[in-house]
Amino acid sequence: MRLAEIERGDRLRTRALIRIISTVSGARLPDAARVAFYHKGYVGAALAEWMHAVMRGPSGWTVGERELMAAMVAHWNSCTFCVGAHRAIAVRGVEPAIVDACLADYRTAPISAPLRVTLIFLETMTLRPDDLQASHAQDAMDTGVSRAQLADAAAVASLFNIVTRYADALDFTIPTETEFDKAAGMLLKRGYR
Amino acid sequence: MNPIDLHQRHADRLRAAATGASGQTAESVRIAALTRAAGGAPIDKPYDGLAQQIRDAAWRVTDAHVAAVRAATGSDKGAFEIIMAASIGAGLARWDAAARAIDEAGDAAS
Repeated sequence: MRLAEIERGDRLRTRALIRIISTVSGARLPDAARVAFYHKGYVGAALAEWMHAVMRGPSGWTVGERELMAAMVAHWNSCTFCVGAHRAIAVRGVEPAIVDACLADYRTAPISAPLRVTLIFLETMTLRPDDLQASHAQDAMDTGVSRAQLADAAAVASLFNIVTRYADALDFTIPTETEFDKAAGMLLKRGYR
Repeated sequence: MNPIDLHQRHADRLRAAATGASGQTAESVRIAALTRAAGGAPIDKPYDGLAQQIRDAAWRVTDAHVAAVRAATGSDKGAFEIIMAASIGAGLARWDAAARAIDEAGDAAS
């Protein structure tokens, strides 16, 4: 973590909360949670509200599929923290072997054609946004992806193009696999608000 | 409701929060960082180096990029605001591109 005030908390209440959660869970509170507690009056509420709606609200995609999309955006953006965090949640809803096959090469992974063509759309959007055309969206819809599903997937990718960037710019500490798993359980139970 | 409109409202709210009165740094600096990371023209140093790196490859941001912006803003909160504004700019530029592509496509599936 590059900013000390985020590491320790910017208010007495936050500092106490960081200590209590870390003690009770037996693991260092992940930096993603420390950011959520920090400078609350700035963008936190707007970001959390959209994030919770996109990742846990009604959608044509399962929670596991949306978490897989988040992990894929993190993979394309080389964000180690976010790959670990969202892989750990995705494997609770999607077979771990399938999640790992997607991370290795989603084009050959055993997934549905609509999910595969959606990932093609999200990869272009993430790595070459200036190249994204209506034809990319049309390809997805012609494969059976509804407009609402594609909009939901694009929202997941937009948010994780934000999260991966601040995670790496702030140099989030990488938790252990056990810590990622504990955090995954909490994010499934409580969501992103 | 149009599925794009639902997310667009959230995107607009996030953009307004990043650049609005709730920040401690000058709004003009946050707007510049957000716009730069969305593909805009170069901005003043040291903000330009950090915003550009966040846009192109955030995993290559260095301690020096952040320290320079921390010194320029005078606080951790100031540096945090610039990092968030740039990250949000890069993410929302992708939302804008996706929403436009989806909007211009037909809908064979629903």
